[in-house]
Amino acid sequence: MASNAIDQTRRMLSLVTYLRDRPGARIDDVARAFGITVDELISDLDVLPLCGTSFRGGDLLEIDTDGERIWWRNADDLAAPLRFAADEATALLVAARAVATLPGLRESDRDALLRATAKLEAAAGDTAGASSRLSVTFESEGGVFADVDRAIAERRRLWVRYYSPARDELTEREIDPIRLFAVGHTYVEAWCRLSEARRTFRLDRVAEIRLLDEPSDPPPVELRDLSEGLVQPAAEDPEVVVEVAPGGRWVAEYYPHDSAEELPDGGLRIILRTPDPASLRRLALRLGADGRIAAPPELADSARDAARQALAAYGE
Amino acid sequence: MAIAKAERLMNLALCLLGARRPLTKHELRASIEAYLEASNDDSFNRMFERDKDDLRELGLVIDSVENLDGDAGYVARRDSNSLPPITLDAAEATALGLAARVWQQARLAGAASGALHKLRAAGGMPQADEAESYGQLHPHSSLEPYIPAREAAFEPLMLACRDRRVVVFDYRKSNAARPGRRQVEPWTLECWRGQWYLAGFDRDRQAERVFRLSRITGAVRSRAAAFTAVVPDQVTVRETVERWAGESASRTARILLRGGAGYPLRARATEVCPRDDGWDELEIPYGHGLDAWLVEFGPDLVVLEPAELRADVVDRLRAVAKG
Repeated sequence: MASNAIDQTRRMLSLVTYLRDRPGARIDDVARAFGITVDELISDLDVLPLCGTSFRGGDLLEIDTDGERIWWRNADDLAAPLRFAADEATALLVAARAVATLPGLRESDRDALLRATAKLEAAAGDTAGASSRLSVTFESEGGVFADVDRAIAERRRLWVRYYSPARDELTEREIDPIRLFAVGHTYVEAWCRLSEARRTFRLDRVAEIRLLDEPSDPPPVELRDLSEGLVQPAAEDPEVVVEVAPGGRWVAEYYPHDSAEELPDGGLRIILRTPDPASLRRLALRLGADGRIAAPPELADSARDAARQALAAYGE
Repeated sequence: MAIAKAERLMNLALCLLGARRPLTKHELRASIEAYLEASNDDSFNRMFERDKDDLRELGLVIDSVENLDGDAGYVARRDSNSLPPITLDAAEATALGLAARVWQQARLAGAASGALHKLRAAGGMPQADEAESYGQLHPHSSLEPYIPAREAAFEPLMLACRDRRVVVFDYRKSNAARPGRRQVEPWTLECWRGQWYLAGFDRDRQAERVFRLSRITGAVRSRAAAFTAVVPDQVTVRETVERWAGESASRTARILLRGGAGYPLRARATEVCPRDDGWDELEIPYGHGLDAWLVEFGPDLVVLEPAELRADVVDRLRAVAKG
């Protein structure tokens, strides 16, 4: 794959600079410094001695390894540190600026990040310009954030009053926080002592929060890979079929779904799964003339009943 | 094949960096194994041009100079390719290390770790043991921030913003049955609440527009030539999106809410008056899209005023009751 070759080249260019300054570097240490496996490092070390260092070939890179340490035997000026590429400066600067704006971040972290950003901008020079074309704002609820952050650091249990939009109700529960993360909104993943299960809580839905004196004691759980999306319905969850008109196409943007089939009128037939279909009554009400629940029938009925009851209050 | 290409790129990079004078294509071809193996001039030329572009993407400044015979010569000069001195302390390095992990987009994730590698190779980062003992003394915030970018349109638009290239794509407005073709001078990309938006100048509409990336259908194509129109310093993506989301409300509405129901409405209410019958009367901000939201609360909510909002909510309820 082309992108692998690009990333490998990027890494090898830095590797030669790194090795120049650290003759006899231990393979383990080098792999750790570059965040790669020993196997990946060895495959780089297999390529480097095939690389010529000058016009007309001949002078190949002399990098030897005995399987434990690496030695560099070339002229020093061959591997001076290279400037940042536009994408490299952008990736670091945009991320650093975004993280620095997080409300609730510890002030010492924010200060360090701002200092690092200024140094990077200076070192990147003109290359830093492209980073102004991208920006990211995280939403985070300062007060709640700080309490969760502290609970994780001090390994303490939390008491929360939490709003569940699916049921339109507030519930009180004790939770043992596992991790705090931000993807658009900020969330705490925790072991919920009420349901004795792992749950993810969105911080802007925490109505009240208190640090308890009891120690947090979540059972060991494997951290989820968040790059696959936050909501990962299980295969055994019941299926819901929603048919929307063009005005309801947003449903496909907001709800993870199994399939979205185009309808002749420009609408969509969306099949999704959820552990609790009743929670989608809100969606059915919101859609109004822009869509309807095609299955299960109980869900469609409950939305219809709710609408009729609501209309009664308006004298209809 | 990945290995073959990485090896070829390394050879070209080292050759250009090590050259004392500009080297012609012929000289480069004669020095690099993979180019010698190219079956003909055409395939060598294509390979060479692509490799040069790839190295430039990796940050190499490659000058092309014409020699006395009129042939182009290439060189990567030391002074234009070296990283100025930069040294981060343990706190800065730790904070930056956290920031570098936020990208869930392959290209930027690779670029961020590439930048850290360059810093580390240049001796700009503290030693591992120093960073480790710093981390033990100063535990940093436990937050893990991530920046999602799953939209296929993200990467081509990012490059088009950077290189100032006009883009053409099909865009479906939120309530449109069919997408329409757009021709845009892209300015900036902004991520808010986990969604990416593009701000730019719509050439057909002759006006500034904001596009949500998830509504771009099909491929984004960019024109070869850079556009020259001015890109404004300040772009108001966020204000535009807030207006869409109804968060720039200038009016208020009065509603009745069943006791205990509708916490988010209570949280943003400007006034809450409990009544004797177990319901509460609330005053809430009224902006675009409020009717759709209020309908979600079904029989636990009644709109009192304004009449226009009441009518919109009743219309929506009727549509569901009929369904």
